[in-house]
This record gives sequence, C-alpha cells and structure tokens, in this order.
Amino acid sequence: MTGKRIQAFFLAGVLAGSLLLTACTEAEENNAANESGTEKVQTESAGESVPESEQDTVIVAMSPEAEPESGFDPVYGWGAGEHVHEPLIQSTLTVTDENLEIGYDLATEMECSEDGLTWTVKIRTDAYFSDGEKLTAQDVAFTYNQLRDSSSVNDFTMLESAEAVDESTVVFHMNRPYSIWPYTMAVAGIVPEHAYDETYGQHPIGSGRYLLTQWDQGQQVILDANPDYYGEAPEMERVVIVFMEEDAALAAAMAGQVDVAYTAASYAEQEVPGYSLFSCETVDNRGFNLPAVERQTLEDGTVIGNDFTANVNVRRAINIGIDRQELIDHVLNGHGTPAYSVCDKMPWYYEGSQVEYNLEEAQALLDEAGWKIGEDGIREKNGVKASLEIAYPAGDSVRQAIAADCANQLKELGIDATSRGVGWDEAYTLALSEPLMWGWGAHTPMELYNIYHTNADTGLAEYSPYASETVDEYMDQALEADSLEESYELWKKAQWDGESGITQEGDIPWIWLVNIDHLYFVRDGLEIAPQKLHPHGHGWSIVNNVDQWSWNNQEG
Amino acid sequence: MGKKTAFRLGRQLLRAVVILLLVCFVSFSLTVISPIDPLQTNIGQAALGSMSPEQIEKLEQYWGMNTPAPERFLEWLKGIVKGDLGVSLAYRQPVTDVIFEKLSNSFLLLVFSWLISAAAGVLLGMIAGAYRRRLPDKIIKTGCMVLSSTPSFWVALVILLVFSVWLKWFPIGFSIPIGVIAEDVRMAERIQHAVLPAAALSLTGVASITMHTREKMIEVMNSDYILYARAKGMGMGKILFSHGLRNVLLPAVTLQFASVSELIGGSVLVEQVFSYPGLGKAAVDAGIGGDVPLLLGITLLTSVFVIGGNLAAEILYGLIDPRLRKKEEVSKT
Repeated sequence: MTGKRIQAFFLAGVLAGSLLLTACTEAEENNAANESGTEKVQTESAGESVPESEQDTVIVAMSPEAEPESGFDPVYGWGAGEHVHEPLIQSTLTVTDENLEIGYDLATEMECSEDGLTWTVKIRTDAYFSDGEKLTAQDVAFTYNQLRDSSSVNDFTMLESAEAVDESTVVFHMNRPYSIWPYTMAVAGIVPEHAYDETYGQHPIGSGRYLLTQWDQGQQVILDANPDYYGEAPEMERVVIVFMEEDAALAAAMAGQVDVAYTAASYAEQEVPGYSLFSCETVDNRGFNLPAVERQTLEDGTVIGNDFTANVNVRRAINIGIDRQELIDHVLNGHGTPAYSVCDKMPWYYEGSQVEYNLEEAQALLDEAGWKIGEDGIREKNGVKASLEIAYPAGDSVRQAIAADCANQLKELGIDATSRGVGWDEAYTLALSEPLMWGWGAHTPMELYNIYHTNADTGLAEYSPYASETVDEYMDQALEADSLEESYELWKKAQWDGESGITQEGDIPWIWLVNIDHLYFVRDGLEIAPQKLHPHGHGWSIVNNVDQWSWNNQEG
Repeated sequence: MGKKTAFRLGRQLLRAVVILLLVCFVSFSLTVISPIDPLQTNIGQAALGSMSPEQIEKLEQYWGMNTPAPERFLEWLKGIVKGDLGVSLAYRQPVTDVIFEKLSNSFLLLVFSWLISAAAGVLLGMIAGAYRRRLPDKIIKTGCMVLSSTPSFWVALVILLVFSVWLKWFPIGFSIPIGVIAEDVRMAERIQHAVLPAAALSLTGVASITMHTREKMIEVMNSDYILYARAKGMGMGKILFSHGLRNVLLPAVTLQFASVSELIGGSVLVEQVFSYPGLGKAAVDAGIGGDVPLLLGITLLTSVFVIGGNLAAEILYGLIDPRLRKKEEVSKT
C-alpha cells in the first residue's frame, strides 16, 4: 500500500511539475524570485535542520489536537484530561514514575487521615516561580480551589476545599474518601496566586523545568529551560513543539525540519533517511463492551441490554475467540501489544486477566450456552440467529479496522457479526444495547471505577449495562483505603478475587483487545530518555522527560 | 442623483443585513442538528471516562448542552446587536480576539493569492484568446482544464512534496520559521512561508479567470475595431493592452470579486495541508468542536467578505465601463 502511495505521489509530482512549468507564469515568477534567494534559503533551512550544531535544542512535531486551545493553564486542563502528561511549565505536588507509582515533585511528605477525608501535604521550600516569587502552600491551596471551581477537564468534585495552614503545609478537605488523590495531584500544575487571571494560559508563570518563551497559536510552542529550577538542570535548553497533521509531520521529517515526528502505524513502513522509528508502549487501549443484561426498554424509551451477550458464556467465548495478535499484525502492522484489561501493566492491574486465544474452547462455550451451528453456519437458539453489530466512531480509521477485523474473526465462531460507523451523538446510547469500539487508558484507577461500577440512578454501570455487588464493594473500599498499596490490592480484587470479578472466569462484560504503540520518527543521534507507559492520546507524553534527552555526538 | 445613489446604497445595505441574519440563522441551525457532541470532541471519551457524573454535568452546563437552542440563539443575537461576538468556548478568549489573530495570519495569504490569480488569470486568458487555436492557447487551455478539475488540497500536497520535501526550497508549513523567537523573524521569512500556500491557493482560482477572459478575448479579437487596428498596422502587444485589456477586465473583475468565497473555502483545505494557522483552520476546528460562538463569528465575518466582494464588484463596474454608469442613469430617469 505504501509502495503504491509513493508511486502515486511521484506521478502526481511529475504531472504537476510539468504543469507548473508550462502553464503558469506565476510559478515561474516564484522560481525566478527564488533563484536569487535560493542560497540564502538553503543556508537558513540548514540552520534549522541540522541541530548537531545546536546540541541543546530539539524540535518535536505533534498532532494539532495536542495544542491546548485554552492555553497553558492547568485550571483549564493543561496537563490533564484526555491525554494526561506532565505540565513542564508548572510543578505538580506528586509525579508518576516509570511504573506509574507515585513519587514527589513539590511534595516532601503526604498523609491521609484515618477517615480518608483530610490530606495533609508538606511542600519543599526552595521552589520559586519564574517571576522570582516564592511558591508557598498558599499558592497550592489557591490552585486547587480554582480547579474545584472551574476545572474544565479534570474531576475535582471530591475536593471540598484546600487550605494553607502554614508556609509549607497544605491541607485538603475532601467530600468523600479518595485514596487515589495522589494520582490527581500528579496532573495538577501549581499556578501563582499573585499572577493568576483570565489570560494566564497565554502567559503562564510556573516553577517547572521550562519557561514558555513563545506560543504561535496553531503553529509552535517554544520552551526554554528555567534557569531557576529547583531540580536538576534540563539538558535540553530549548524545546520547540510544532503542531502538524500526520502527513505534514511525515513530510517535515523527510525534509529534515524536525527532530521527532509523531506518526501512525500506516506510515511506519516508510523509510525516512536519517531517522529511525521509535515505538512507545502504551495503555492506550481499544476494546468493546458487551451489554450484560437482557434486552429491555426503560421508562424513558431507551433500549438497553442484548439477549445474545447477556449470557456469560457467550461473552467468555468472544473473549477467547478473538486472536489479538492477528489484530495487531493486520491492523497495526505489528505496532501494539495485546490488551486484557483497561489498565494493563498499571500498579492496579490484575495480571490474571490475561487469556489465551482458543477457538475450540470458544466454540464449546457457545455450544454450552445453547447456541448451535445452523445450516448456514450461523449459530442459533430457539430460532434466533446469533448476531452482533460492532459499532465504531465514524472517522476513526483504526477503530474501524479493528471492528471489521473482530467481526471477521467472530464469523469463525458462527456469529453473524458486522461493523458499522456511528456518530458520537448516538454512540453512547447505542452502546447500552450493542458493542461499541472504545478507546481508554488513563493514569488513574478512576477509569476502572467508571467503567465497571454501578451508577446510583440506574443500578447499572454507566457505559455498558452491567452490575456486580462484589465488584462495586471492592472498588468503594479501594477509594476508602488508607494507603495506595492497600488500594492497589483492592482494585485488583475488584477485577478478580478468586470467586468473582470481571475477568474471563468472572463476568467479562468488556473485551479488551490491543494497546496501540505510539510511534515516532526520531532523528539519528537523538537519545530519548526511557518513557513511562503512554496514556490514551498521542500527544505531550513523549516530552514528559525531554529535560533528560540528549544528542549523541558520534553519530552526528 | 445623489439621493438616488444613497437610496440604492441603503437598499443594498438592508439586503446585506437580511442576508447576514439568514446566514447566521441557518448556520446556527446546522450546528444544532449536526451530530456533534461538544463534550466528546473537546474533552474526549477517555477523559470523560475518569470523571464523576457531577463533573460531567458541570461541563454540559458550560458547553450549553442543557440550554434550549432558540434561547441560545437569542442570547447570541442580543450580544451581536451590542457588538459583542461572545467568548469562544474552546479558546476561552473573546471571539473577536481569536478571529483577529487568525485573520492576521490568513490575510497575507488571501491577498497574495487573490492578486496572483487575478493577474495571472487575465494575462494567460488574453494570450490564449489572442492566439486562439495556436500553441500557446492549447497549452494554456489544457493546463486550465487539468487545474480546474484538480482539488486544491491535492495541488497543495504536490507542491509541498516537490518544493519542500524534494527540492527543500521552501519550509514545510507554518507562517513563521520553526524555533525562532518572534522578534527575530524577518518579513522576508514570513513571505517565504506564504509563497507555497499562496501559490496552491491561487492555482485553483487561475483556471476560471483564464477561461472566462479567453472567451471574452476571442469576442474582442473578432470585433471590427480590432480588425481596424490591425489594418492600421498596430502591433499585437499594443492591440492587447490598449483595446483588449479594458474589454476583458469586466468579466475578470466580476469573477474575481465573486470568487472571494471560493478563495476562503479553498484556504480551509490549503491551510490544513501547510499547517498554516489561518481562519480556515479555525473555522474547521470550531465546526467540528462545537464551538458555536466562534463558528458563528467566522461565518459572519466571511459572509461580510463575500457580500462586500460582490458590492465592490458592482461599484467597480461603473469605474471600468462608463457605459454601465450611463445605462443606469438612463434607466433610472
């Protein structure tokens, strides 16, 4: 496919080139105007594209979606939300390490009260904002109260108030016990109370590793190392982030104008001279839900449940009847890992979730459930055909391909499976009665909670009808746990406690398929520091530790 | 006569306002019925997945999902009357600020390509018309046919590939050089960054201007006065510029002003290819992201452009062709 693409481009180029030369005087004008300027232009672009001469600068191309439209204001979601990453310009109280466990940034110690309703956090005293003012507990309290009042993408409804009890101690009063508060603290950058207003996002002042030097909206962000940073001084003096579509990012790499360019599996086969492919493992997963209750119509007319998938053996059969490696090879050109839960490899992941592909056992499970192969090869029970329509968000080509591949694989099980693209306006409702191809992967167990825990109003889980008292209980206990370690154990038990849960042996209301690798073209000679598992979204995560990147002289 | 002109202008203005109102209403209705979930596109499914229902409710409030559509439209209209375009939901800045920023980027690009396509189109059309059925005509005609049947984004991609990726003469995109602080950016660099997008954008406009001018030019070439001029022994160059230009300018000007809308439409795609941060890109993002105030603001502005373009064409007729001025005076009295 890529070969054809190149060929098409080449033909197109030749055609247009001849056109340009013959038909259009203005092209000639341009050329002429440029001939005199060519030399200058080339030396300039050489300056841009050979950073070996600038050992401490790196240029990274990211998706335009990664640009924070409302600015670099943590209150409006900078660093948090769909794609969680370190805010770089601001400091956070805690950080997540390579294993997604909690470490300290501004915090020096933290403590949670017995009832889980009060968190006391001590902060370091040597942190200064880039305008020279000292960062105090007052600023921390101010930030969190702002977040609670106007957070746009992060959930702070569990926070009652934040209070500075002295210069370096801040106390959080909670509305409900929330043992995973440190994960929330890891994505909340601290803003200065004295320099915070509506336009903060355009001119952020922080205490982080980098300063925002320039932001050309829709184009680039220039970050320079903060000379007053309290931690280890960044190796990369200047970080330039440019926002480009996938095609443009590839072209930019081919033209040698960027050092790191994000890319997708479909482009990964391309040879870009002077660059090599860098692949990051992720928890950016894809999977579909299986409604776990019988079909019924609610009072408001919503149809929920699915008679076929309401049977647990059917769900188990589907879970082991899909060859995940085949999906990875076919759809992702090999750039992915099999997924068995929404939180693979996170500290709260239950490792027993893993299953082996086993077509025969899957067949047996369906037989056991009473779905027998009919004359046309499709299973049926009481005259009803076994059918399943896997929906995917229209416009997402990867999810589309995964859905189509899954449907194909399910046909081998004797299920009349199809796939269909839907808009998000109907997707959520549809998912209550049919499978939908989802993408998740956050750096917080709250995701697990929201997917499997029942909703007080309906008595069923929010995104796909399912209810289990045991699972609910474990997760409630996990949120009330005294320590993170204890909560990890409870999150794991919610997945499987030996008797029930949401794994293959349990109720398996969701089928997890793949974690999609995040791919980048990286200029030879650039050493990218080891990455922690990237969350959902292909954005700023890669530069979480850009301060530790370096250029390798030998290769340059 | 002054009274009449004023009356005419007043009527035009009234018509413009009615059109603008209708445009606003239609585009607002479209955003209401479009299958876009603002939370989904702006916050994201995965982010929503780790939120509590209370937080989601807060966000629905912010994005106006719980307010009935007519109420929202009236609110917005009230603001417009006061000259307030509202606040962009995604950028969290006044719509006027966002538009101004984007427009200042697009402006150079639009003006460039508008002028280039006009000048090149008229010139090529005249040559083609003058040398009808001869080699220059054939080349130009074929070129125009191919160009007008080629989507502008594809032309943009090819140009990008040839001049930026292979020849490396021009930057890969953007309106400014990568990694250079704003004060150090020279005007020459800004122009250099606008050349390729402007070329791509003007190419699509060139074809129609050329073909129309060609038709008109053929008509002119067959006229008696050209025959007379030739008989007098006037050279081709002189014929073209003293007799041809004035006559072919009229359709060209009409077309060029009327094509302002196409230009803005084309800029959406071309800006996307060249990562050029203009108005077109902002409009797409606002539309997809359900940022209604920004989308309506941009719609309003572009409609003003288009209506203004048509109006300007009408006024210019009189200047270029005195006969039209006369005709109007005659018919009105």
